[in-house]
Amino acid sequence: MAAGAANIGTASFDLLEEGARPVLALKGDWTLENVSSLDAPLRVLAERIGPGAAVDVAGLGRMDVAGAYLVDRTIRGGAAAGNLDAPIALRGAHDAAERLLNVARASVQPCPEGPRVEHGLMALVERAGRGMHLFWQEAILNLSFFGQTLAAVARVLVRPDRIRWVSVVNVMELAGLNALPIIMTLNFFVGLVVAFIGARTLQDFGATVFTVELVGVSVFREFACVITAVLLAGRTDSAFTAEIGSMKMRQEIDAMRVMGLDPMEALVAPRVIAMLVMTPLLTFAAVMAGLYGGLAACWSYLDVSPAMFFSRIRENVPAQHFWVGMMKTPAFALVLAVIGCRHGLSVGGDVGSLGKRVTTSVVQAIFVVILLDALFAIWFLEMDL
Amino acid sequence: MSDDAAIRVRGLVTRFGDNVVHDGLDLDVRRGEVLCVIGPSGCGKSVLLRQIVGLEHPTSGRIEVFGDPVAQGFDHARRMGVMFQDGALFSKLTLKENVEVPFKEHIRLSPELMSELAGLKLVMAGLDASTHHLKPAEISGGMRKRAALARALALDPELLFLDEPTAGLDPVTAAKFDEMLRDLADALGLTVFLVTHDLDTLHEVADRVAVLHGGNVAAIGTLEEVQASDNPWIKDYFRGPRGRAADRAHEGAGAR
Repeated sequence: MAAGAANIGTASFDLLEEGARPVLALKGDWTLENVSSLDAPLRVLAERIGPGAAVDVAGLGRMDVAGAYLVDRTIRGGAAAGNLDAPIALRGAHDAAERLLNVARASVQPCPEGPRVEHGLMALVERAGRGMHLFWQEAILNLSFFGQTLAAVARVLVRPDRIRWVSVVNVMELAGLNALPIIMTLNFFVGLVVAFIGARTLQDFGATVFTVELVGVSVFREFACVITAVLLAGRTDSAFTAEIGSMKMRQEIDAMRVMGLDPMEALVAPRVIAMLVMTPLLTFAAVMAGLYGGLAACWSYLDVSPAMFFSRIRENVPAQHFWVGMMKTPAFALVLAVIGCRHGLSVGGDVGSLGKRVTTSVVQAIFVVILLDALFAIWFLEMDL
Repeated sequence: MSDDAAIRVRGLVTRFGDNVVHDGLDLDVRRGEVLCVIGPSGCGKSVLLRQIVGLEHPTSGRIEVFGDPVAQGFDHARRMGVMFQDGALFSKLTLKENVEVPFKEHIRLSPELMSELAGLKLVMAGLDASTHHLKPAEISGGMRKRAALARALALDPELLFLDEPTAGLDPVTAAKFDEMLRDLADALGLTVFLVTHDLDTLHEVADRVAVLHGGNVAAIGTLEEVQASDNPWIKDYFRGPRGRAADRAHEGAGAR
């Protein structure tokens, strides 16, 4: 084999009918880049002459496994297994051909059909059904994990010496304190936008003064807590899943279990406790930022002075709106911590499942936060709060 | 003779911060030989492999593959196959689709021929046709290594790189893998650059052995020549309990 000779020759063949058995005379370099054009003609030829042709390699240049495969396929008479007992009869001398033809012959196995991928309406319906089933299963799993978490947190709380304070404080800093700037910035802008759009709309009714009330009520009741929860879902819930998931992948969780540490107590409980503490605090910061955003808009656009803004808030926006918003935060905190930790602990052995779990975790967390918020809204309306 | 070397490394220096990995390393890999590279953990075996295939660049020095300097990127991708330690199979694709990837990238082939050739390569690497439609996550570590070898051999490369092919395999599977590697290297006339810790692999497949130690090639030659070296690490390596066991096993096999 003249390996490495960088010539791009061509491959061709002649069929010589001499005597009883046909002879396939090879010419040129039978290498992968040359033989693809010979594929179709050789298939036809094999059909025609059947197994048992001899091979003349006197004019053969280089040959590789792909070329040998095509030759062997032809002399054994077809694409599938063909006649595997057909002799490999060579005419002429070549330093690699016989070896390679034997390799190709030894590696022939008819390949079974791969699994068919279904398309079309039935597949769509089936997928939708599967999706519903999965949705239901996920809900059950989340609920059962929620129960386990509550049990673990309760176990830890009745014996406070078992609370892992270092890790609680660590999570409080990473998930809470470090999220403060982005949460405040975004809520500031939300307050600003609500005030601007509210002022524009209320102008048509000559009721621009109510912009302050609009900002107050919407920020207190909805925006501060929901936006904080959604941001924490993107930032903290995903981090929980990724952290715990990578520990799961490296068998750290198994190591903890073997050493008698309960991952629910060591990993989940600190995160739940930290989130229960930090989410209300972050929401309070978000409320402040939202109010200042509203104030900035009202001051610049409506000439409402800060003193006037706050006195209207104090007089016309009852404190219950603030408490309605704050009451939702522990629920959101639980949702985020529980969903984040559950998906982290459900990561399988491969990296692909880690990525999938993080995505699912964030989507589910945001979904549940908004669903809960809607339920809260109905509940509080019915309660006249 | 300049045509004799498939890979030529001259004056290679690699530094990571203060850590000198290669210190003026010279190495030739001859055409058609199986060169096994051994050395203590962290001596830069895998780094050397990554540098030769162009994934990393040395601090200074010169690496030539088929006479061309490696620095110009991947223009030898067609002529070399690499098998990474854990296989590095694409997890979303079946084994057969994994082997078809290099075909799709480099050669225009009809789908039937591509499928037939991919199947052929997998069977060649010892994977039964019933496994060809499985995903990498569904098969054992040994089978993953075989599939990775099939993918490395897809384009009939002249040069094959293997990073610890038998690491993590049970001894029986590892021995079978070694045997298959030797057979394929002979049948296909491959030049093989093989990084390993496995003493049995040295006995089974190596034409020559190179020992990387202290930033340079401490010894290179046939297994017997390398074993005769007085380098203390090489002595410990071959005369430790595992080295002696491997020696005895292969002497016994030779006597039979």
